Amino acid sequence: MGHTYALEPTHYSPLVGESTGQGSVGGGLSRPAQPGGTAVDLVVEPGRVLGLVGPPGCGLTTLGISLLATATTTEPVAVLDVRGWFCPSVAWEAGIAPERLVVVRCSDRRLWPKVAATLLEGFAVVYAEVPRHVPDQALRRLGALARSRRSGVVLRSMQGDLPTGLIHLRIDGVAVRWGGAEGGHGRLKRHAVTVKASGRGARGVERYLEVTDDGANTMRLVPGLAVAPSGRAAG
Amino acid sequence: MRRPDAPPDSPCQVVDDGGIVVAVDPLAYEAGVRSGMRRREAEALCPSATTLVADPGAEAVAFEPVVAIVEALVPRVEIAHPGLLFVPIAGAIRYYGGELALVARVEVELGGGVHLGVADGPFGARMAASQASAAPVLVDDTVAFLAGLDVAVIGVEELVDTFRWLGIVTLGDLSGLPRAAIASRFGPAGLAAHRAASGEDRQVHPRSVPEGFAVEDQFDPPLADFDQAAFAARNLATRLLDGLMPRGGMPYLVEVEAMSADGDVRSRTWRSSHPFSETELAERIRWQLRAWVESGGVPGGIRRLRVVPGDLSDSGRQLRLDEDVASQEDARRALIRTQALVGPDAVLRAVPQGGRDPAERVGWYRWGEQSGTPERDLAAPWPGGIPGPMPALATRTPIVVEWDAGFPVRVRLGTRWEPVLSWAGPWRRTGRWWEGQPAADRYQVVTSAGAFLCEVSEGQAFVTGVYD
Repeated sequence: MGHTYALEPTHYSPLVGESTGQGSVGGGLSRPAQPGGTAVDLVVEPGRVLGLVGPPGCGLTTLGISLLATATTTEPVAVLDVRGWFCPSVAWEAGIAPERLVVVRCSDRRLWPKVAATLLEGFAVVYAEVPRHVPDQALRRLGALARSRRSGVVLRSMQGDLPTGLIHLRIDGVAVRWGGAEGGHGRLKRHAVTVKASGRGARGVERYLEVTDDGANTMRLVPGLAVAPSGRAAG
Repeated sequence: MRRPDAPPDSPCQVVDDGGIVVAVDPLAYEAGVRSGMRRREAEALCPSATTLVADPGAEAVAFEPVVAIVEALVPRVEIAHPGLLFVPIAGAIRYYGGELALVARVEVELGGGVHLGVADGPFGARMAASQASAAPVLVDDTVAFLAGLDVAVIGVEELVDTFRWLGIVTLGDLSGLPRAAIASRFGPAGLAAHRAASGEDRQVHPRSVPEGFAVEDQFDPPLADFDQAAFAARNLATRLLDGLMPRGGMPYLVEVEAMSADGDVRSRTWRSSHPFSETELAERIRWQLRAWVESGGVPGGIRRLRVVPGDLSDSGRQLRLDEDVASQEDARRALIRTQALVGPDAVLRAVPQGGRDPAERVGWYRWGEQSGTPERDLAAPWPGGIPGPMPALATRTPIVVEWDAGFPVRVRLGTRWEPVLSWAGPWRRTGRWWEGQPAADRYQVVTSAGAFLCEVSEGQAFVTGVYD
């Protein structure tokens, strides 16, 4: 199962991403043209772990679910919900049909690794919230299981951090801007999330990206944000 | 039998999950409502009728005494669904001295209100019972009896439409056509319809049940809780079909057997007009267990549960072109194991439904069970509903909001105050005042830490959604 940007658009997510010539357009995300090739692929890859780190409200749940929706359009998708707060409407809006979505609720941190491992054994893509105080060892075992089963995993941390070495691509929520609501008028329509991508999936360099959702349930990357300085002198 | 929640003096109808009328009372019947109609059509014919949603589990409980009475007269009865019972009477006729004597005895034991039909084969008997209103219908010549029936009784809508278009309006017209031609034009469904129309019912025993093949579970301590028993039913159904599928068979008939803590063994046979799927099989076992548990049929709880298949067919399930059977099967197994870890209430699916709040717009049901009818109509306008996009997280946490001249100024998130950057609303929800439910105003509030959906009701503010 190759997770690329060249997927057919899903029936839930009409394409609105601008055509950029060089970059191809996918079901949920469009990739902008960047000189010298792109450094970050915001995709859920088989056998790889994508980590989302940030407080509630910074837009990472919507981003994670949108990535899940682009990863597969036919196979079942599992969401491991720790707080019992997950609202499936966000998955439906992202293009995951109701009959493909299963939500498993587990708030017991001792049971959580076993439940997550069971889901990884049966699903090609899993979105899992990670409760507080789950041992790093358990998470590393999950990473190994994902590699061996070729399952794509999105881990959404509840405790602020995830162990280094486990995550192929780490996305930190930096800021979120909402538009559409002004002084009692209008309604929330669009938002832009600034995230910091790091890890092997970002070629080892921290990069800042802006992901926008214009209200049509489709997100796209906005180029042009500065690459974090490497700290090394050139030449 | 009458549902306890059915109004005594006004018309009433029962619809299934798909919105099809499955039962009507005499008053609704007089108004023209018939089983098989769509709910909307039925409500148009009889607007004053009360519409109830079918509850097959409760119906199985109510039907259990009927089955017990018939079983005391003739053994090996087969339940098709709550309300429909097949009784093989070839042996019992000789014992009771003829069909008439047997039917009269059954009528006496059951009292009035039953529809009895006698014919060759389950299909003919069901048709005869459906025509029996005041008195039982005993059919001597099943083929001749079926020949006069409308082709719609086959029950396959697409097939019936095509038959009508071709001028085939009765089962007699259909059975008069060459079987090979029907099989060639309409495939297995047409062939099954032709067999039924010819009084041959379906082809039986295309495969034999493997010797001694049955699945069972022992419970120590015995299962006294219906929910636990229902979970065990699912496991047994899965194991039974997993065991039969590699042998190329699917059961038309299963015998559910339960041993109580006292050592009493009870069994019931369930029949289907098509091979049982896993969900259907688990459902039948669950209904039966509920009937036994609620009628006190298994005193002290269930110590052993056993399911024996019968009447195997070689029918397989046709997959969609894009359906990957391996991934579906892997996911199914994983979810069964997950249910064993966290319980069936924590493995959920959801369907969209109507409502004014994000939480209201989601209809949850357990994975593996049939999705219920949405409580609220998705197509209704829902004035005061929160516009999309929906919050990704739905919660109900008290929050402190500071107001100035009616405008939200800042909110307290954890230990810090966040100034409100912008906001929208309110969307007013008028509560059901007659039930004591208060009205509420909902606001979309944007801070530098994100956007939230807040509800203000009776002077208290809550976060009901996080736009994460």
